[in-house]
Amino acid sequence: MSVILKAEGLTKTFRLSAKQQKLQNTKKKTITAADHISFEAHEGEIFGLLGPNGAGKTTVLRMLATLIKADSGDAIVDGSSIKTDPEGVRSKIGFLTSELKLEDFFTPNYLFDFFAKIHHLTPEVRDKRKKELFDKFGINKFAEVKVVNCSTGMKQRTSLVISVIHDPNIVIFDEPTNGLDVITAKVVTDFLMEQKALGKTVVLSTHIFSLVEKLCDRAGIIIDGKMIVCDSLANITAEKPLEDVFFDLYAEAKGGEEQ
Amino acid sequence: MKNIITIISKEFTRFFTDKRMILMTVLPAIMIYAVYTFMGTLMGDMFSPDEDHASQIFAVNTPASIVQSAPMFGLTIQSAGANEIDIIKENIINNEADLLIIFPQNFDELVGEFDSRTGPAPNVEMYFKSTEPNSQEAYFMMTALLDAYKSSLVTLFDINRGVENPDLATPENVAAMLISMLMPMLLMIVLFSGVMGLALESITGEKERGTIATLLVSPLKRRELAIGKILSLAVLSFLSGIVTAAATILALPNLMGGAAEDSINVDIYSATDYILLALIILTTLLLMVAMVSIVSAYAKTVKEAGQATTPLMILVMLVGVSGMFGGGAQTEMIYFFIPLYGSVQSMSGIFSLDYSVVNVLIACISTLVYASIGGFVLTKMFNSEKVMFSR
Repeated sequence: MSVILKAEGLTKTFRLSAKQQKLQNTKKKTITAADHISFEAHEGEIFGLLGPNGAGKTTVLRMLATLIKADSGDAIVDGSSIKTDPEGVRSKIGFLTSELKLEDFFTPNYLFDFFAKIHHLTPEVRDKRKKELFDKFGINKFAEVKVVNCSTGMKQRTSLVISVIHDPNIVIFDEPTNGLDVITAKVVTDFLMEQKALGKTVVLSTHIFSLVEKLCDRAGIIIDGKMIVCDSLANITAEKPLEDVFFDLYAEAKGGEEQ
Repeated sequence: MKNIITIISKEFTRFFTDKRMILMTVLPAIMIYAVYTFMGTLMGDMFSPDEDHASQIFAVNTPASIVQSAPMFGLTIQSAGANEIDIIKENIINNEADLLIIFPQNFDELVGEFDSRTGPAPNVEMYFKSTEPNSQEAYFMMTALLDAYKSSLVTLFDINRGVENPDLATPENVAAMLISMLMPMLLMIVLFSGVMGLALESITGEKERGTIATLLVSPLKRRELAIGKILSLAVLSFLSGIVTAAATILALPNLMGGAAEDSINVDIYSATDYILLALIILTTLLLMVAMVSIVSAYAKTVKEAGQATTPLMILVMLVGVSGMFGGGAQTEMIYFFIPLYGSVQSMSGIFSLDYSVVNVLIACISTLVYASIGGFVLTKMFNSEKVMFSR
């Protein structure tokens, strides 16, 4: 399978405030959220970034989505570099994270049309896509309800639909099932499987082992900003279950630290 | 360009389909009209004397010369005896009389014989009640009469004797002067409040709620987002400015108790004046929007943005006030390059019908350049993760 997304040495440091330095009992002025992260995602597979909270998963995905800039390293997303062609990257990916919100005042229907225009969809394509996605995610029922009056599940469905409005080849989802009830979570995981079946590539981040085991073809384990392992799920779990592999790696990584 | 229009149309939909937002825009205008009218009525009642009122003026030892000239000042003086002084004073306190004048006996003769070397001048006592407009008015008129009498005694020369209307200013000049003093400040404040009301919500609000991040992951260019925001905010604040300014202009005659009704006449301006005025207002608005947008993009919360824009508001007010002083608009070209100040000077010049088209155009163009720099900075800010995702 051909490589459609290739990240090479993605590094991102954030400055620590004086308060934060005190809190973490450190003299370091910066914290490295992503430390030379490299991985590849192949066409038609689901790639999972697994790691505890604060490991740097979201930072990596945000760099891929060009929301933040990498200090060093680059990633080629479907032929576009995140450094030199951020608009190109953004037009090729569907990005979903909890920090992206929809304007409360508008209805899912209006927002769909608005983002369709931003993606330069023709009215015919837009209407076809809308029918398809609204039917699949059951949005028709609340298509004219303002987002402010929508439930969390409704909002998540609308966000999801809008993130893939342009039928992208690569879908990048940050913690896609966080905070969702089992029904909505299943809608999301089913959607990801379906994308894979359609030959699309999915990159997701999560701290839930079962989700990786259920969905991913390949996975990378990130601890403290470093990619510890990156391999096919079959290889990673050849000897022991994913959970055990992870805790062993975690203990090893933390054991190496002075504190 | 297409994306910019998409952004503008979203901002317009956001504004025009939200009843609350429209209400919040129209409400200040209604308040201004109501408050000005109320204040005008109140002040009118308080300070203007009753025109139909016949003044009750009493004088003791009334000299013939004064009685004769009283009708020229619209006064009628009733004679009273020295024994009535206390009663009349009591009546003034009870608003039943307006003024009591006590002349010395044989006032005319005393005045005629008076020599500053031999003793003090004859003294006239006048009693009135300052809180009663009619009494106050009678006092002023009587003082004017006595002053006229006094100066007639020692005339060395007259001023404007027999000249009917020495003020050669046309009614247009008077109107233009009044408008040119008030309007630039009013416009600046009204426009800036409109910008503040909208930009904080549209930029910091979207940032705070995380909705701008959704736009930032779309293929939209940051520049398109910045331009779309600035243009739509400028148009919307222009509309809100028009509503507020219209309410203010309509309320001004009420505030001035009808005095301004005849003098403020907007027919005096030509089409060129209006076109230049519209140009300077629109470019100034763009600059204001750019300024407030930058502060809004930098702020983390709408509340913080509100606090941070207050100094800007004060600056705009101060610059606006500068149009009221200094004896008309500046004429030197260099002043028109100064942001905001150049705008105020241009407005002041246009309103007073005394301006150079070149200077006004310089102000328009330089303001546009400053606004573009602001747009460029805003684009950079939208591009900066530190600004957009700081918590």
